[in-house]
Amino acid sequence: MKSMRINKVSLASLVAGALAGGLIACGGTHMPPTELVNARAELVRAKQGPAAQLDPTDVHEAELALNRAESAFANEPESPNTIDLAVIAQLKAQSAAAAGGAMLAQNQAAKAQKDLVEAQSNQLKSAKGDLAQTQGNLNKTQEQLEREKQETASERTKRMQAEEALKSARDTLARIAQVKDDDRGMVVTFQGDALFKTAKWELLPAAMVKLDQVAETLKGKERKILVVGHTDNQGGAGSYNQDLSEKRAATVKDYLISKGIPSDLIRSEGRGPSQPIAENSNVEGRASNRRVEIIVEPKK
Amino acid sequence: MRMLMTTNTTLLLTALGLAACGGSYPTPTDQYSAAEKEVGRAQESSANVPDAKLHTQLAQEDLAKAKALMGGENDRAASLISRANAEAELAINLARQAQAQAQAQQAADALSKVKGGGQ
Repeated sequence: MKSMRINKVSLASLVAGALAGGLIACGGTHMPPTELVNARAELVRAKQGPAAQLDPTDVHEAELALNRAESAFANEPESPNTIDLAVIAQLKAQSAAAAGGAMLAQNQAAKAQKDLVEAQSNQLKSAKGDLAQTQGNLNKTQEQLEREKQETASERTKRMQAEEALKSARDTLARIAQVKDDDRGMVVTFQGDALFKTAKWELLPAAMVKLDQVAETLKGKERKILVVGHTDNQGGAGSYNQDLSEKRAATVKDYLISKGIPSDLIRSEGRGPSQPIAENSNVEGRASNRRVEIIVEPKK
Repeated sequence: MRMLMTTNTTLLLTALGLAACGGSYPTPTDQYSAAEKEVGRAQESSANVPDAKLHTQLAQEDLAKAKALMGGENDRAASLISRANAEAELAINLARQAQAQAQAQQAADALSKVKGGGQ
């Protein structure tokens, strides 16, 4: 297409040249018209613009048009047709410049479009990566929640089982001792006379049998146990009763440890006569006050 | 389009030659019809581009002058038709350039927004 166009232009150029040669005898010296001067300037501008590289065919056509105008001016400087040819050359140079500008802008648009697609693709990749990471985190959180849910259910079951076991233990202990619940926990109380001889802290054989049952019942319950020894007020409020209560409590504690209660879960204290539960003025009251309490503390 | 113009130019020069030799120039009816179509195309594409619109108008004026001369001064008419063609061609290229530049700007803006993180 382009080469065809160039061939046509070349033909026209030859015709113009031939005609100019035939008419040269009529020529004289004239100043070039403004139209021709403008055409020359426009051609220079077109050659300096993007058209020179991007659309050289149009620039070449403009150059041929200027040649025709120059020839016509040489032969018929005052002819209106010469002015027309100069105007046509000027328009063709402007047209070539505009076509070059259009091609440059098209190239720029294509490049920007390509960069845009690439940038969007990168953004999409990045967003997909973020999404995958978020999804991964979400999955982990869900798994964690599920685990916690299962653990909570498992712990609740364990707690219920432990409570059930303790209730059963309470029923068992109630057959051999006095059992009550207060803010300290489940309190199992043995009368002192049932465990020890007067003023002694060695366990009676019958006491050992009872404590065997206590140890058997409380083993594996994973509860803290506090053994507290109490006396009546006979012998005064001095160190004797305090000492006796401590020794009796320690004896019970050691015995329970020997029967399988973990030593880190059990401790003992003596309170002497300081916490009576009955009057010390009569035999029954004093008998009640001489006691050992095995306190199974609540789970915290 | 340019082939047509080149042909017109050839014809114009031939007419000049013929005139110099004392011959008569034929009425450029076909050239006129072809130029009329080219100006029509220029009119369609130059609606929103002031420079292109101006050259389309000049092309129309050249055609009108050519039409008035046809039959009497055919060589001048042919010359004006060639001018009209060149004006129309320029109008079309100016419109094409403006459109391409607008598209390039649009693409650059879109790219800038994406790179800048905005939408």
